[in-house]
Amino acid sequence: MTQRAFELPVLPHEPVDHAKAAAAFNADVARTEWHDEALWFVRVKRDRAAASVPEWEALRARASAIKEHALTHLDEYLVQFEDNAVRNGMQVHWARDADEHNRIVHGILERAGSRRLVKSKSMLTEECGLNPYLEARGIEVVDTDLGERIVQLRREGPSHIVLPAIHLRKEEVGETFHEHLGTPAGLADPTALARAAREHLRERFLAADATLTGMNFAVAETGGFVVCTNEGNADLGMALAPVHIASVGIEKIIPRAEDLGVFLRLLARSGTGQAVTAYSSHVHGPRAGQELHVVLVDNGRTRQLAREEFWTSLKCIRCGACMNTCPIYRRSGGHSYGSTVPGPIGSVLTPGLDLERYASLPFASTLCGSCTAVCPVKIDLDAQLFRWRQRVVEGGHASMAKATAMKASVRLFDHPRLFRFAGAVARLGLRILPAPLARLAGGPWARTRDLPSPPAQSFRAWYRKNRPGGPR
Amino acid sequence: MSAAPMSAREAILGAVRDARPPAVARPQPLWQEARAMSGLSRLDTFTAAATAAGAAVSPVSTSEVARVVSGAVGQDASVLSYTAHASSTISSPDDPHALASLDVLVCESSLGVAENGAVWVATSDTAFRAALFLAARVVIVVGEEALVDDLHQAYERIDVRSHTFGAFVAGPSKTADIEQSLVIGAHGPKELTLVLVRATDPVNP
Repeated sequence: MTQRAFELPVLPHEPVDHAKAAAAFNADVARTEWHDEALWFVRVKRDRAAASVPEWEALRARASAIKEHALTHLDEYLVQFEDNAVRNGMQVHWARDADEHNRIVHGILERAGSRRLVKSKSMLTEECGLNPYLEARGIEVVDTDLGERIVQLRREGPSHIVLPAIHLRKEEVGETFHEHLGTPAGLADPTALARAAREHLRERFLAADATLTGMNFAVAETGGFVVCTNEGNADLGMALAPVHIASVGIEKIIPRAEDLGVFLRLLARSGTGQAVTAYSSHVHGPRAGQELHVVLVDNGRTRQLAREEFWTSLKCIRCGACMNTCPIYRRSGGHSYGSTVPGPIGSVLTPGLDLERYASLPFASTLCGSCTAVCPVKIDLDAQLFRWRQRVVEGGHASMAKATAMKASVRLFDHPRLFRFAGAVARLGLRILPAPLARLAGGPWARTRDLPSPPAQSFRAWYRKNRPGGPR
Repeated sequence: MSAAPMSAREAILGAVRDARPPAVARPQPLWQEARAMSGLSRLDTFTAAATAAGAAVSPVSTSEVARVVSGAVGQDASVLSYTAHASSTISSPDDPHALASLDVLVCESSLGVAENGAVWVATSDTAFRAALFLAARVVIVVGEEALVDDLHQAYERIDVRSHTFGAFVAGPSKTADIEQSLVIGAHGPKELTLVLVRATDPVNP
């Protein structure tokens, strides 16, 4: 497990307490505000890009329908993809879980005699813990996406699936580069830092004897795949290394090449507000003399597919729009989720892997539905978060305090006399208790809110007085 | 055929079959009707989008191509060219690593996309593919008649299987991974020039 940025209280083998980790993130007020505004700015760019496409809503509907069609015929499309990929000269591997994936990748590297691996962004390999697995076996692993390289040098994980280092300030990146790349102390100019990273990574690209990429889309009809980047890092790796491994979750299969038109129009506009990424690279076979391996990974995806209430979460194309818009994510940071994929989609996908560990994630939401509104493939994220909350409570995974409070409110709302009594106590308390004491009695909810001034009487009393003959 | 034990393949396919939700039909294509065209011409839309992506766009008449390409390439540069509009100063190497300090790649594109300013470059040639990302500067010649409105039209025109590699290239490489500050020139080219050859001479139509 990689170390987290500022020692948020998230531990590898204990249930994640999102609220507690978020409170630790919030302790740095300036960082929290900057993080919030930086992501909101990306959300605004997304809105502008979406508005520039008049048929945007039709495009979302079509993307959603194609994904639902693909997922409900996934076995057929997987076999079709495999057949065509093999025909294109690729070697196809299947991995049931993270461990099998890591063993397959290591086996390929070992057979090829590869010791220096350059990787482009792959959340799947983060999910599988590939880097530590390979490093323990003597392979040098270099993440080449700038944001991923920054967090790798700091021995952290990415805090966002598209913007891996969004939790860091440029001064912190400067310190990291000063320590690891020898840039001058105090250098914090983004252009100068990016140039230093370019020089440093160019050497690694040229020295690499293997590369690993993810896939944004795998096309069943053609047996090829598409990788989208702005930096050109995946492309340098693929164009130079004698061995190319492309790891992909089985849900990334789409039926036809023409479907790429739909998804590529949505992906970058939703993710970063660009019309398209700098490179949308289509790979349909190895270069002359190159080995090209595809690893198809399940790791819990078939279990999610079997869940009637949650299978549509597999439509996700990993654009990150739900994170950028989420008021909780923006103010709690990706590391507070303790999960490779954070934010609303992470809080829907990750509980399916380990409900006990991730029981707090479905509650890391206001259920405002902003995530659902921006999702390019129309996943009903807020509804799924709400459904997970029910599964968490049914499974007995809710915290004692939450469970007790829920039971108490059920009793309260079931018993009118008790409800009236509680109301009277609350009004009295608000009137006579000093504010700090009343705030304490209000529990966590009251901690960051101004308490209301108490009404003179309850609504019931007011109604009885003012509408004596009114319906009861 | 596959290097992993067949059991993993069968296990995953079996699990998918067991899990399959009720079938959802493939949606009918409806794009021609649903698509709305902007008021701008294809050429203007393309130019604006490519410029926004960081490319330098030079609209030229047929007779001006060689001169403008030569200007974009500059002097004393190492050049690898895949078009008749420019000559290479180096020979295409067998090992792409030999292109590590390449200054300029010049090539052609068969298709440009107005809505996002991307041009399609496809090749099965190892040196060409590497040069597209190793070169400090890339110059791409594309004809006005090769422009389409959007990516749907683009995929109607191209066959992604015709080469082992093909990419939509929109501007030079870039990153915003440090505090969301845009830096042009990440790992790939720092500059992209698009030489856009007008279908009719703008001066003497």
